[in-house]
Amino acid sequence: MIKKIIFFVGLATLTTALCMADVWKAPDQEKAKERAKEVVSFIKEYKDDHKIARKISLMDAGISLKDVQDVYFLMDSPIIKDREDHYGPVRFSHKRHANLTNDCSKCHHYRPKDKAASETTRCSACHQDSFNPDHPERIGLKAAYHQQCIECHQEQAKGPVDCKGCHLQNVPDHKELVKLPDNPDAFQVTAECLRCHDTQAEDMLTTAHWLWKGPSPYTTGHRKDIMHGKGSTALNNY
Amino acid sequence: MAISRRKFLGSLGAAIGATTTGSLTKAYGAANKHFNGYPGSSGVLHDTTLCIGCRKCEQACNTVNDLPQPEKPFDDLSILDKNRRTQADAFTVVNQFGADEKVFVKKQCNHCLEPACASACFVKALKKTPEGPVVYDASLCVGCRYCMVACPFEIPAYEYDNVLTPKVTKCTLCAPRLKEGKLPGCVEVCPREALIFGEREALIKIARSRIQKHPDQYVDHVYGEHEMGGTSWLYLSGKPFETIGMREDLGTISAPELTSGPLSAVPIVVGLWPVLLTGVYAISKRKDKIAKEEKEDALQAASVQANEEMNQKIEVLREKMTKEKTAAINFEVKKALEEAEKGKQEE
Ligand code: HEC
Ligand code: HEC
Ligand code: HEC
Ligand code: HEC
Ligand code: HEC
Repeated sequence: MIKKIIFFVGLATLTTALCMADVWKAPDQEKAKERAKEVVSFIKEYKDDHKIARKISLMDAGISLKDVQDVYFLMDSPIIKDREDHYGPVRFSHKRHANLTNDCSKCHHYRPKDKAASETTRCSACHQDSFNPDHPERIGLKAAYHQQCIECHQEQAKGPVDCKGCHLQNVPDHKELVKLPDNPDAFQVTAECLRCHDTQAEDMLTTAHWLWKGPSPYTTGHRKDIMHGKGSTALNNY
Repeated sequence: MAISRRKFLGSLGAAIGATTTGSLTKAYGAANKHFNGYPGSSGVLHDTTLCIGCRKCEQACNTVNDLPQPEKPFDDLSILDKNRRTQADAFTVVNQFGADEKVFVKKQCNHCLEPACASACFVKALKKTPEGPVVYDASLCVGCRYCMVACPFEIPAYEYDNVLTPKVTKCTLCAPRLKEGKLPGCVEVCPREALIFGEREALIKIARSRIQKHPDQYVDHVYGEHEMGGTSWLYLSGKPFETIGMREDLGTISAPELTSGPLSAVPIVVGLWPVLLTGVYAISKRKDKIAKEEKEDALQAASVQANEEMNQKIEVLREKMTKEKTAAINFEVKKALEEAEKGKQEE
């Protein structure tokens, strides 16, 4: 965390300098952001397959890992955002999940009745607004994600189950929070951050960033040390 | 025509001046009829098997109702370790049950179809609306707190800290938000649709179909469908309801129906006193058969105290009103005199 924070300070100064210049944007991320904004039309009729039947029909259709093109999705659907907007987009590592699970039917649990439609139609085609009186058994998109994602993470005791695990905090503007004199030294900066981030500071004390020690063949002046490190000879600044 | 008891009560207020013996007998008959709720009224289904105890509903409730910030923030889940009840500044709380497999249950006013609180309230500060919510009108409340004694779910709380204008507080089912076409705050924020909003009848159907589809996951019972004559808030559970802090000894008859007699249909303060006492007594008898006698004593003490307090309140009010009246009369007299004086001078 603190490493992140220190990095962040450097970055903040850098970004102010860079603000004028054209900022480079990652093409895949821009694509993912665009995709997140799409709203597809609602699919009323679905094929009510039993779990096992669904798995078999996916196999029969020859659907497999090769059909997974997107490494990750950003989830930021207007269907949800129109109602509430507390967080930024959720990053879902689709390929990794498909690999881990190796069973597309675990998530793509139903398909549209229309034979021409894709086997792996996106969730938001069937799950949109909550409490649609015409489809009372159909849950809304927000709940569809939270039920499916969190349930599997709970079952497997892997993957995040608490809100912060998937949702980035809406971080308040630190330009207003951080109060520093002109030309502060490193200790002053750290002390200022610690004013509010004391729990993170405590977490830091138990991490390798604070405790590492060992051989350091690539560190000038310490090439021969075998127990150099923050946990022994080097400086921790709070 | 099958006239519902509640509708009857509503119209009776107006008709009371012209009461004849005939209509009173009718009133008695109607009062004993079982009331099945307003058609099309809304409610909430709480599927406890989906709740993960994130307390976002508590937070949303706090925001929507402009309540003070709690000591510990809402994302502090260690609070779940102790069993809580609703408070003047917390209309809803989530409690946790079970050691290994945790079950989370949200607690708030259940918005009974025939609320014991409303029937205990002799100034009609609490009433059931046809839309579903049981609403409270602070301007009518005299602060007797009978509603708190009457409620079998121990929901209404009282602003003891507020010395000047204390109010009874409880969940409103977000009646004001419903009027604007919005969802109740807690329902909207729930990440897993562990809370579903809709027409009560539709919710019961959804609940039944969930039980039917997953008989291994649910106890075969929709809590609130019949408890206390039915509530607008309904519950599904995977564990027996009594193990998740929900009383199963309440029976299926509403409190007002239990106490119904010729007098219960007469909304006159004086007339309601005895009914009220029997009503409270009837509920408390079911509440705890063993500690019956103790309870009775306590109740009696409570009602005597409340009675006294109310009398005092009325006295204060009367005094205030008299004072105001005298002041107003004095003012008018003074004005008239002044005008007369002016007239005299002009002459
Ligand atoms: C852990 C759950 C999960 C698993 C496992 C999974 N997917 Fe997905 N997949 C999703 C979600 C969620 C989306 C929708 C993302 C969105 O709508 O933004 C999606 C979207 C897709 C899409 C894009 C759909 C469209 O129309 O844009 C394809 C194609 C796809 N998945 C194929 C697969 C295949 C093939 C497998 C199995 C090898 C698989 N998925 C396994 C969750 C999963
Ligand atoms: C072709 C339509 C369709 C698609 C696509 C679809 N669902 Fe569903 N989903 C349904 C229907 C219909 C139900 C209700 C089933 C019932 O209980 O009758 C449902 C129910 C659910 C439920 C409730 C629990 C359950 O399993 O029954 C969850 C959670 C869920 N969907 C999540 C998802 C997610 C996540 C995706 C995308 C990966 C998705 N769904 C894609 C149609 C669809
Ligand atoms: C079928 C089970 C399953 C489902 C469904 C599932 N996950 Fe996961 N998820 C996992 C597992 C297993 C891991 C742990 C991976 C690891 O630690 O190596 C994980 C890890 C994660 C992580 C942390 C690591 C990473 O890849 O970024 C995130 C974030 C995550 N999942 C998001 C989601 C979201 C969002 C959904 C729903 C759209 C979802 N998951 C649905 C099984 C699942
Ligand atoms: C496994 C990952 C995961 C976890 C854990 C998770 N969410 Fe989400 N959440 C999602 C996904 C995916 C979306 C859909 C994002 C979109 O399409 O806008 C979402 C959307 C939301 C939204 C609506 C979008 C917004 O920005 O306001 C809210 C509110 C929300 N989640 C609250 C919570 C809360 C509260 C918790 C903790 C109890 C939680 N989430 C835990 C994955 C997760
Ligand atoms: C006046 C209080 C305050 C000060 C001073 C402060 N922060 Fe923060 N910071 C916050 C709050 C509040 C949040 C958002 C909630 C959270 O993550 O705890 C936050 C969040 C962050 C995050 C994002 C964490 C995440 O989970 O994404 C970073 C990074 C961060 N602060 C860095 C810093 C750095 C570096 C400094 C010192 C230069 C600093 N902060 C000083 C209050 C402060």
